[in-house]
Amino acid sequence: MSKFFERDRGTAVGTGEMSLGARSIPGVVPERELVASCRTGDPEAFARLVRLHEGMVVSLAVRLLGEVEEARDVAQEVFLQVYKQLGRFEGRSSLKTWIYRIAINQCHNRRRFWHRRRRDRERPLDEAILVPTLPGGRAGAGSPYDEAVRRERARQVQAALLELRFEHRSVLVLREVEGLTCEEVAAALGVPEGTVKSRLSRAREAMRRKLVGLIEGEVGP
Amino acid sequence: MTCAGVRRRLSEWLDGDLEASLSRTLSVHLESCGACSRRAHELRAVSGLLAELPRLETEPVEAPVAMRLELAAGSRRPALAYLFRSMAAARPFILPSLVPAGCLLVLMFGALMVLDPGPLPEVRLAPGASASMPASGTEANPLFPSAEVLLPQQLAALALSPEVLAGQGEGSLFLETVVARDGSVAGVTLLEGDAGLEQPLIEALRQQRFQPVRFRGRRVAVSVYRLISRVQVAPTIPAPVS
Repeated sequence: MSKFFERDRGTAVGTGEMSLGARSIPGVVPERELVASCRTGDPEAFARLVRLHEGMVVSLAVRLLGEVEEARDVAQEVFLQVYKQLGRFEGRSSLKTWIYRIAINQCHNRRRFWHRRRRDRERPLDEAILVPTLPGGRAGAGSPYDEAVRRERARQVQAALLELRFEHRSVLVLREVEGLTCEEVAAALGVPEGTVKSRLSRAREAMRRKLVGLIEGEVGP
Repeated sequence: MTCAGVRRRLSEWLDGDLEASLSRTLSVHLESCGACSRRAHELRAVSGLLAELPRLETEPVEAPVAMRLELAAGSRRPALAYLFRSMAAARPFILPSLVPAGCLLVLMFGALMVLDPGPLPEVRLAPGASASMPASGTEANPLFPSAEVLLPQQLAALALSPEVLAGQGEGSLFLETVVARDGSVAGVTLLEGDAGLEQPLIEALRQQRFQPVRFRGRRVAVSVYRLISRVQVAPTIPAPVS
């Protein structure tokens, strides 16, 4: 499983037809064949599909919801939905984008569920999501001071992210954190590309206003 | 281009999504305008901050997903799902097929309306038909025993003379006895059995007296069905003494 996370950050950007992390898993089969096997009810094929995509789904859910356990719960729901709806997957977008779309919808539903019960106001930020558990991330860590600074910065960024409206947050996470292209983001959200661009512009501006103190420290006066 | 116009397009400029000429105009403006240039730096820094959010490694969700799928499969009742699976495949045809179905329905209703012979003739009872029916609970229209209408109790046990007991008949008699409102027997009708041979018995039954039966406070006539059997009893033969 950890192999999925060992990939270079750059490979996540626009891999298109090939699934994320496919190169790091031995015995990889093309996406179309994998989907076809899953449709025949092959449990091993579906397990492979889950292994291939669970990292990105959990990561997306963590950034959108701010909690690891909730994110894992949502990820399970996402794959149950994928299993149920795989028959309707037409292959017009890539499997990755299609799964992202289901994940976004599930996260949105979860937020609405919280909102109805007014739970979203009393949720503190999950500290676990500020600690990089990636071996690569740890390798780059310097002194304990640097580590503390990095952690504080991540906390502020995540807190600012969670304050944004859901549609702004989702577009930012998909584009900036997950590294999708605007076209892929549009497919994942089911909106036109122009809408993605305008939302992205507004979301970045909102983020800039929230993080202006942090940025001044970064870019200098 | 004004500063406001530049700032509106900064996000697209950073993504490299602007047309070449517009992008050049923006770059020229940014070189000369400190405030806008600073804004561009800040937006770039936002992207950088988001991109360096730590990646997390969590426990795989594969196992719980597999378990939940197994649970769902175990609790599923497949019969209807199998029945309608072919319909799900025919989904694109469902909507177009509604049009001929609608036409067919309209045609059927139209045909029914054309062929309709009009309202059925009204059935009328002959005048006074209901008036000729005697009132319920009278001797001519007695009630039957039920939860509210008790069986009539006879005032004295049926006393049969030796002539009646020594009658010729043998077998069962099925009789309807109508007990009148005053407790006397209004009529005995033989429904099954030989009337000629059992006439003395029937006469004896006509003389019986009953406790009057009441229904909702008033006396009513009640019809009772009775089955009477006559059995020949042979004298017992003493067992031979050995």
